[in-house]
Amino acid sequence: MARAATSQRKVLNTALAWAVGFLIFFPILWTILTSFKTEAQAIASPPIFLNFDWTLENYAVVQERSNYMRFLWNSIIIAGGSTILGTIIAIPAAWSMAFVPSKRTKDILLWMLSTKMLPAVGVLYPIYLLFIKMGLLDSRAGLVIVLMLINLPIIVWMLYTYFREIPGEILEAARMDGATLKDEILYVLTPMAIPGIASTLLLNFILAWNEAFWTLNLTAANAAPLTAFIASYSSPEGLFYAKLSAASTMAIAPILILGWFSQKQLVRGLTFGAVK
Amino acid sequence: MTKWLETHLPKMVLAPSFIAVLVFVYGFIAWTAWVSLTRSRLLPKYEIEGFIQYERLFASPRWDTAINNLFIFGALFIIIAMVLGLLLAILLDQKIRTEGMIRTIYLYPMALSMIVTGTAWKWILNPGLGIQATVRSWGFENFSFDWLVNPDFAIYTIVLAAVWQSSGFVMALFLAGLRSVDEEIIKAAQVDGIPTWRIYSAIIIPSMGPIFMSAFIVLAHLAIKSFDLVIALTGGGPGYATDLPATYMYAMAFSRGDIGQAASSAMIMMLVVFTIVVPYLYSELRAKND
Repeated sequence: MARAATSQRKVLNTALAWAVGFLIFFPILWTILTSFKTEAQAIASPPIFLNFDWTLENYAVVQERSNYMRFLWNSIIIAGGSTILGTIIAIPAAWSMAFVPSKRTKDILLWMLSTKMLPAVGVLYPIYLLFIKMGLLDSRAGLVIVLMLINLPIIVWMLYTYFREIPGEILEAARMDGATLKDEILYVLTPMAIPGIASTLLLNFILAWNEAFWTLNLTAANAAPLTAFIASYSSPEGLFYAKLSAASTMAIAPILILGWFSQKQLVRGLTFGAVK
Repeated sequence: MTKWLETHLPKMVLAPSFIAVLVFVYGFIAWTAWVSLTRSRLLPKYEIEGFIQYERLFASPRWDTAINNLFIFGALFIIIAMVLGLLLAILLDQKIRTEGMIRTIYLYPMALSMIVTGTAWKWILNPGLGIQATVRSWGFENFSFDWLVNPDFAIYTIVLAAVWQSSGFVMALFLAGLRSVDEEIIKAAQVDGIPTWRIYSAIIIPSMGPIFMSAFIVLAHLAIKSFDLVIALTGGGPGYATDLPATYMYAMAFSRGDIGQAASSAMIMMLVVFTIVVPYLYSELRAKND
């Protein structure tokens, strides 16, 4: 709104927006704070906000007792692997739909995207059985494949919306100068497509990192990533809030940091390209 | 050869994605549909027996609870998230400083796994630790907020956490919509001295129909697929008071060893999502032809 709001009003609005922001951020902040408390302080009533003895003990205990590094490594391999594999398969598909569209292109895209809306439970059991047969249960390779397939429609869609923003005239100009298909891809398209590819990678990495349905159902001890680790940690040791918070903080820290330094890509990615 | 490649390459590179989605999604759905018509229990069987699994499903009080919960949860979640999202979008539309940072903070809950953020929510909702204990320690001894452990109210804690997770996302969608309204019309209205709230309610919001539609579709399918939320907060309990269809299916498949029930409940969820997605696809395709 271009209304000439008085600066006083603007300050008020900004303060209100930050107050809401604090409220929204509170559960995350609380997790981080609790991770530095002792178990007794974590469940103190009334709760202690900042005035406690900061300690790193929880982090040490979590690492020592449950080998946090292995879960972290699994998360990185599964999220990273499925993202890279999916992007490699999706780039040619998105390129073809964005630059050589046919009458069916939009139909195919919408159809692909619509499959993402279907509940995963519909395909869970057949995949579970297939995994048992092929010995993929509780393996990182199996999860990389499944998460890649689950997110493939999103990757294709995201890349397509970015590729479409590359002006077609540039390609025509390159062709006039005698560029071959290979030149076009290597020297014209790739440099212009890199920002789009980067934010698609970011979004997909986040989706795969957070994935809980498939990781809980298809892993046990070996290939379990951080989400499965947190879920298992919270049930048998129910009341160890400080340690659970330390484990949780370590699981969300990469996303919080990654997201803060790539705010534009995060917002655009999470809204599937709706917000530029 | 090069000519042939240039005409056929676009189709060839599209094929892997197309085939992967086709086989992976529809092939496996077909398997589930088939098994839902058999007597499968612990192991899948493949002789078709008719609709016995569906009869069992609809006779099950636990499934009944899951469906009821889905309606309560879905309706409240979608309405509250849309209203809050719209209000937050209007707030951020007031030319606020540091908008980029605020937007990121609002979207953080969506970017983090509910399994992990559930840790804090369990503390906040725990009567002995979080909100109830805090308010009581301020001197309001009779204050009560025990939804998490109360079978009649536990489902509302799922609504609360779901709204927290998604309203920033809805805000971002609506904000994009608010910004796409023609500036000239708004300026003209301001020149005419129409108050800001009237400009929003009479001009801007009515022109955002399509955005409301997409927000609704996204939230509705999120509601039906909800799984992490319940696992993170209540695990379906107390008892099975907070079961949703996805957790029902999960319990049948993995702890009850009842594949037939798992398959038939999955098919019902599929049908519900299809009835939401198909009109959406139809309207999108029609928009394309306009």
